[in-house]
Amino acid sequence: MRNPLQTYRVGIDIGGTFTDLVALADDGQLIRHKVASTPQKLEDGLLNAFRTLLADVPPENVAVVAHASTIATNALLGQVHLELPRVAFVTTEGFRDVLEIGRQNRSAIYDLGVTRPKPLARREDRLTVRERRGHDGGVIVALDRESVDGVVATLREREISAIAVGLLHSDIDGSHERSIAAAIAKALPDADISLSSEIDPQYREYERFSTTVVNAALLPILRAYLDRVASDVAELGVHAPIFVMRSDGGMSSLATAAQRPATLIESGPASGVIGAAYIGRALGLSNVLSFDMGGTTAKAGTIFGGVPEVSAGFEAAGSTHSGRSVKGSGYPVRFPFVDLAEVSAGGGTIAYLDAAQTLRVGPLSAGADPGPACYGRGERPTVTDANVVLGRLNPRALLDGAFPIHADRARHALETVAAPLDGDVERTAAGIVTLVDAEMAKVLRIVSVERGHDPRDFTILAFGGGGPLHACAVAEEIGVSRIVIPSYPGVFSAYGLLAADVRAVAVRSVVAPANATTWERVLKLFEALAFEADTDLADQAVAKEDRTFTREVDLRYLGQSTDLTVTATDSLEEAVAAFHRRHEQRYGFAALNDPVEIATVRIVACGATPKPRLIETKLSTPRDPLPEAHREERLVHDGRSYVLTPVYARAALRPNDRFAGPAVVEEYDATTYIGPHWSAHIDAYGNLVLEHAR
Amino acid sequence: MNLDPITTELVASSLLYASEEMGIAVRDAAYSANIKERLDHSCALFDARGRLIAQAEHIPVHLGSLPWGLRRTLAWLVEHGRPIAAGEMIVVNNPYLSGTHLNDVTVIRAIYRDDRLIGYAANKAHHTDVGGSVPGSMPPNARDLFAEGFVMPPTVLVRDDQIVDTTVDLLRANSRTPDMRTGDIRAQVAGNNVGERRFLDLIERYGIEVVETATEKSLDDGERRTRAALRDFPDGIVEQQDVLEDENGDPSIVLRVRLEKRGDSLTLDYTGTAPQREMPLNAVYGVTLSGVYYAIRAVTDPHIPMNDGSFRPIEVRVPEGTILNPRPPAPVSAGNVETSMRNADLVLSALAHLAPGRIPAQSGGSMNNIMIGGTDLTGKSWTFYETNGCGMGARPNADGIDAIHAHMTNTLNTPIEVIERELPLLVTRYEFAEKSAGAGHYRGGCGLVRGFALREGSATVSLLAERHVARPCGVKGGGDGVPGRHVLVTADGKERAIPAKTTIVLHSGDAVVLQTAGGGGYGDPFDRDHVAIKRDIADEVAIHFDESLERF
Repeated sequence: MRNPLQTYRVGIDIGGTFTDLVALADDGQLIRHKVASTPQKLEDGLLNAFRTLLADVPPENVAVVAHASTIATNALLGQVHLELPRVAFVTTEGFRDVLEIGRQNRSAIYDLGVTRPKPLARREDRLTVRERRGHDGGVIVALDRESVDGVVATLREREISAIAVGLLHSDIDGSHERSIAAAIAKALPDADISLSSEIDPQYREYERFSTTVVNAALLPILRAYLDRVASDVAELGVHAPIFVMRSDGGMSSLATAAQRPATLIESGPASGVIGAAYIGRALGLSNVLSFDMGGTTAKAGTIFGGVPEVSAGFEAAGSTHSGRSVKGSGYPVRFPFVDLAEVSAGGGTIAYLDAAQTLRVGPLSAGADPGPACYGRGERPTVTDANVVLGRLNPRALLDGAFPIHADRARHALETVAAPLDGDVERTAAGIVTLVDAEMAKVLRIVSVERGHDPRDFTILAFGGGGPLHACAVAEEIGVSRIVIPSYPGVFSAYGLLAADVRAVAVRSVVAPANATTWERVLKLFEALAFEADTDLADQAVAKEDRTFTREVDLRYLGQSTDLTVTATDSLEEAVAAFHRRHEQRYGFAALNDPVEIATVRIVACGATPKPRLIETKLSTPRDPLPEAHREERLVHDGRSYVLTPVYARAALRPNDRFAGPAVVEEYDATTYIGPHWSAHIDAYGNLVLEHAR
Repeated sequence: MNLDPITTELVASSLLYASEEMGIAVRDAAYSANIKERLDHSCALFDARGRLIAQAEHIPVHLGSLPWGLRRTLAWLVEHGRPIAAGEMIVVNNPYLSGTHLNDVTVIRAIYRDDRLIGYAANKAHHTDVGGSVPGSMPPNARDLFAEGFVMPPTVLVRDDQIVDTTVDLLRANSRTPDMRTGDIRAQVAGNNVGERRFLDLIERYGIEVVETATEKSLDDGERRTRAALRDFPDGIVEQQDVLEDENGDPSIVLRVRLEKRGDSLTLDYTGTAPQREMPLNAVYGVTLSGVYYAIRAVTDPHIPMNDGSFRPIEVRVPEGTILNPRPPAPVSAGNVETSMRNADLVLSALAHLAPGRIPAQSGGSMNNIMIGGTDLTGKSWTFYETNGCGMGARPNADGIDAIHAHMTNTLNTPIEVIERELPLLVTRYEFAEKSAGAGHYRGGCGLVRGFALREGSATVSLLAERHVARPCGVKGGGDGVPGRHVLVTADGKERAIPAKTTIVLHSGDAVVLQTAGGGGYGDPFDRDHVAIKRDIADEVAIHFDESLERF
């Protein structure tokens, strides 16, 4: 029975295959639902999940709704039913094609059929005005009214209402952009205008223009979507405020989110990391690697002292190569995002033989449809099929018996790629898992080793449908000896939504030597930016006492062109010293005598929200799991051979239950495989903790 | 030793990953925009015999030249009785040894484990200025190598894991922008250190014997896959030629190849190619190899491991003393930026005869180099180097791409707002060259137009471009791309055409404007889809093709 006075905070994460809902009661109890996503109309999946919840919970007891969705990415990838609007881009005369030329490179060097992402504003609709500023903001050519009128006339004639304006050096002075916007708004009062000087006031024109145009293109779709979500949820009788997760792991109110859709693109992946950071903080872990493996991709991120690493930008709807984003394959969006390395390796990833009859895995995926062979429809062998053959995944059914598994189909599919291993299906299955583990270890390396951190100092937090299944092997590969599998790993991203704060970011380019004169200017700028960010939080109904502000400054050695971000106090010397340290850590040297330059300053404002309460149980002395937790013994392949292995039901495991690997732990939404050299226990919060025996 | 295929694959992919990680280390630690922003560098790992075992996909022109350069340099070191010791790195930029041009500085580390040589980590990065007669070190009027800058033979750069300051000082003293040199060289050292560390990690993990066996197998695998891909092409002999434009702008320099495909191997013979010249279009043999390897890789399977084995089925014969295999001291600065492009065109056109329907029309065919340098009002020297994209040739089933780097390079542009903040330059235009694409069932890509004005003082600008006369060819009835051109706009507003390859002095307010060549079209323009024609007209990129428009 549910307590009728209990209120709930609800997180809903819409992924490519499943829509996950987590409802957290005041007393810490958690309800979860997993329903199929509805790509044609994403809000349907959300409503389905909500209706399931409301069968148990009165709508008026929902206190707040937090949401993450793939809709922005889907729209940019050109999904049907999400057609992007016709977008006009107004820019400086002579620079009509900067938006399409991009960085003039091709995304695949040796592919003669290479394509460039379709420009979001086609050439016909890239309109120019006569004006020009210099790098110091000074006017070289005054804004020509006649050319502005011409642009306005064209927009009216073509009935374009999604409009982006981006002029050279407008990050220093946006007044020309504002004049143009005013002229357009006067003639076309219903137009949605995104200004580069407001959306992304930082230098480097292509990235600024691209971010602005992405915002303009997404605006009508996201606004309509968020409006529908709001009205549909209201129709269910839920009148709680709705927040939307952004790429940087912060929350925006619905209204703010609808104005800045470019900030929402990577919302789903970010929420998992926010959840991992939250659990990490609760457990007192200072260094955490988040490892999220789903049906098609695996993602890794780093968390220090409870704070996820955030980077300055990414390419939306782009492709990746070995976990690194491929330059020129997508649309640059310069908005902070929780920096994840991603690789095409998931349960649905397909194994095949190449022209030289070598066994390879990925990047092709069987996705949700047809899915792995063992799901009953697909023919090609996938990572999930390999796990079934190895006995690591239940060879009869998943989802507590609700989802039948056809182990024979998995075997047949694997036979088609077993030739290099003399037709040996088991060794082939083990080979596939080894290859995919190595691929996933790369993304964990990217976010640790490549950023100058020793992975051995980290704990892996593994989640997603496949994370717990592969965590031990991946950890061994990079030398990590401790893994935490949270409760409900399969809906963990939805859980993470409940752990996020409201955020607002205000940013400006500076580009000046790091000296006392510049610093005075920077301190004033911090005040102005803090005011901006504070207003932003106030608009989102964050109470004054819940607002905190962090100053950040991006520094580099004079002459370098990529920067490192450090937090700043009133002291320039401290910021510079912190920069030298970061440079040493990341790139292996610090040039203490070289002049330092300030590139960008930023205020990150945070509006604290109530967090999920973790229920701590008093730990007993270490004990064995109860007999009823012991589901069965089955033959599970440990990489060398099949071993009779105990299978536990996670729901029946109690705090401080301890057992050794090899073992399998099954639960509704995920399966954990514990390797031979690992031991496992349940901690005071119900997490499954794995430790490598040294 | 019998090794399972999974381990082989893991070792090969770890080595490739290590070479990529080297590239990231170089980029991250570099100072110059050319490396940091434009990624004008390549990294690779070699076995103890100097065979390429993994090269990161950076720049095609380094594909064959880096391994060739490594072997030549190692041979030179052996000849001179000083092989690379443990804890040492060698720096070299002599193109006749290291494989491209003087700007490309190569740094090599020998990797040892317990006194046993197990391989090499090497990288090559383009330094924007290494001396010579003009800023940027690629003078279009150079008559010998010495005019192009400072020639460094294989020299110790790192000893006992410490950078040898005198070597760095030598590089600094011979550059107009010494501080950038220090930062970039340091980055190259960091890159090789990463390569060494990863290579040793791998040996630590699998043991030397497993790594060696796996490497051998992956070399064989590269060979096998290239051969399998070549078998897809019909046998035959094709003779093909193309031209480069000489110092007077005449398309008089002939490149000729006789390509013979038989079974699963390919022989290219360049007999009949023009003799070397006292101008910088000479391409050292390593660069010629790069053009061939690029073309083969692009038309076969780009996923074939890039290693020594994959090159085995290809034989490249180039008579010495020609523009594709010159003898020192012929100048070579434009060999890898221009001649390599033409060589790629040549080989692709030859392959098109064997396999019609698989090869695109010709692209803009030039890297359209611009180098500007001078002294600012504070007396500090500055240099700017950039290559510019062109129109990509139309493909058998798709239009070419507008204003993009084709074939042998893929370096990024420098943002306008970076150029203007850091240098006394004003970018006056950056857009497509309208109506420059070749018409066709599928149209070529448009070239681009980019203008640079000098804001203050005076400066020297050097331009090095191709396809200002000889047009990029269309195929199967597709039109040719429109050639490029250069214009000088003086402060008083007067315009005058200037040559494709030239050095001139700019005064405050003067500007140079580059237009790069468009790509050729593919197939009969009359077959072009009406919707596409409409779009070309609306987008104002359509080629002048009056009949097509009239009919429309």
